[in-house]
Amino acid sequence: MTGKEILMAALRGSKTPRAPWVPFVGVHGGSLIGLDATAYLQSADAIVSALKQARDLYQPDGLPVVFDLQLEAEVLGCQLAWARETPPSVSSHPLQSGCDLSQLPAFSTEKGRIPLVLEAVRRLKTEMGDAVALYGLLTGPLTLALHLRGDEVLLDMFDDEDSVPELLDYCAGIACQMADAYLDAGVDVIAVVDPMISQIGPGHFSTYVAPPNNRIFDHVRARGALSSLFVCGNATRNLEAMAATRCDNISVDENVDMAALARIAAAAGKSFGGNLQLTVVLLLGDENDARRDAVRCLDQAGSSPGFVLAPGCDLPFAVKPENLQAVASLVRDPYQLQVARNLPAKVDSDDFADIEIPDYSAELAVIVDVVTLDSAGCAPCAYTVKAAQEAASAYGGAAEVREHKITGRDGLGYMKKLQVTAIPSICVDGREAFASIIPDRKDLIAALRCAADRK
Amino acid sequence: MEPKLNELSEAIKAGRRKEAKLATEELLAAGVAPEEVMSALSAGMDDVGRRFKANEIFVPEVLVAARAMQTSMNLLEPVLLSVGSEPEHTVVIGTVEGDLHDIGKNLVAMMVKAANFKVVDLGTNVSPDAFIAALREHRAAVIGLSALLTTTMPAMRRTVELIRESGVAVKVMVGGAPITQQFAQEIGADGYAPDAASAVDEAKRLIARTAA
Repeated sequence: MTGKEILMAALRGSKTPRAPWVPFVGVHGGSLIGLDATAYLQSADAIVSALKQARDLYQPDGLPVVFDLQLEAEVLGCQLAWARETPPSVSSHPLQSGCDLSQLPAFSTEKGRIPLVLEAVRRLKTEMGDAVALYGLLTGPLTLALHLRGDEVLLDMFDDEDSVPELLDYCAGIACQMADAYLDAGVDVIAVVDPMISQIGPGHFSTYVAPPNNRIFDHVRARGALSSLFVCGNATRNLEAMAATRCDNISVDENVDMAALARIAAAAGKSFGGNLQLTVVLLLGDENDARRDAVRCLDQAGSSPGFVLAPGCDLPFAVKPENLQAVASLVRDPYQLQVARNLPAKVDSDDFADIEIPDYSAELAVIVDVVTLDSAGCAPCAYTVKAAQEAASAYGGAAEVREHKITGRDGLGYMKKLQVTAIPSICVDGREAFASIIPDRKDLIAALRCAADRK
Repeated sequence: MEPKLNELSEAIKAGRRKEAKLATEELLAAGVAPEEVMSALSAGMDDVGRRFKANEIFVPEVLVAARAMQTSMNLLEPVLLSVGSEPEHTVVIGTVEGDLHDIGKNLVAMMVKAANFKVVDLGTNVSPDAFIAALREHRAAVIGLSALLTTTMPAMRRTVELIRESGVAVKVMVGGAPITQQFAQEIGADGYAPDAASAVDEAKRLIARTAA
């Protein structure tokens, strides 16, 4: 199965050989090619070139073409404030003083920046459409309504019950036009992104927001395509109501308990996805944080079919590529997954006082500590231990190889105290010398000589 | 007059601005002390805050309650001023530079106001200089900084740094979707609130700590 096939099968709720991976590369694409968000979101060339890079770097099974919830609002007369590292923000609401829809400019997918996004879709379809599923992201009805009318919409839910369904249905109509244009250009999945859902309760959701969303989902289904409901922000209280809509898939942000979503989605017969932590992990954390968090998502999602591993929302502009690469390779490699599962917690109060490491300078022999998952059960670990042993005997001097498995306390203690950065890792006299690489024999012997000279 | 005060609290809780207005008018016309009317408003919003924090109600319900409170405050504030009753403490609030989001910040402003603080709301996209100038002008006890975007978290950090450098004595509290307790500590904020209702408790706590 290709990655795209795995993803499409998962979205349909089928069991897949591994979890598919969809990094939501939005403005982050700009940082990949050295452009700020303003330049990036106004150029089809930039989008195509960045997503080709994202494909090569992150091995995605699917990619969003653009993550910008202001595309439709801009055409409908909202002013935008552009920024360097985020999508633009809406700075004026044309319906703020009155909900008269006839005041809005006529909508067309040939206006504003929509044509350049569609051009990017067509070119990416040719470039990578066989291997990578393309997501067309459109603005969900509640979020578009807030763009058009500001937070008055939320007050209208109490004062002006008739105007809210009318406005949201209008927004659903815009969404259907966007879906048609995206599908005609070649996208595989329509994502209805409606983050404002995280700000309302299930009562308002079911009364006002579910009907226009269902109109979009039905429209997408009638065209033979798949739909996903993306809610950035804390949608916990609305999960059941969201699962009762007619979308194929629900994708959620980091504040949602993935185990709870897995249960709700399974009961509703829907696929589901999320919810790697954007800031603390992907933006500010390191590769091991990213691996731990991916394991957290996968383990919470459990064995229910239809899970799609993805970030909680649009990736931050300056997210570290190596963190996404760590997730990409872990998804494909059960061994790495197992290593990540055994990583000690980030904030670990355990100082492993009971695990004593030697005073290396006082040892006669050079000590080679190999920190592994378990050389008996993992091929890369076995090769690394073997390479260390062979180098030690070829070295000719006094050298001793000790394996420390992180499946037990000894290995975890060594990992922490020797500040080991990867598994498997070779430390020579207490210093990490070869992390996650099986060294060439002469390099390792040179390292042993160096260590012997320091004694 | 107690039933009428109760009526006012109930109108605020349910977000019924017409009833809130009427009850306020009647209370003031009957000569009830404006501080007592203010307490009834605060009691109503306090209950709203509690239910918001407990996930029983959501942003629209809080907005509609806050609007009812504002309707009542419009009548009440001139009377409070005329009797020389002013809030003891001032809170300066705003969304940090580069960030245009205001729903969360507005909720905090309303909740804090309802808890009888004077609120100076500087709006969105506020520069560190503007924050510092407002702190000096209003001698605020607490400043509340909001950020919705991960990309404006560095601006929040810089604002806190510059406030500290300026030497203005103020307690800094921060909040917003991407902000965590850990981040708040890292940037040297004095307090963190995960939601608008908690922001009131946090402001009170910070002031109590200053006084102690």
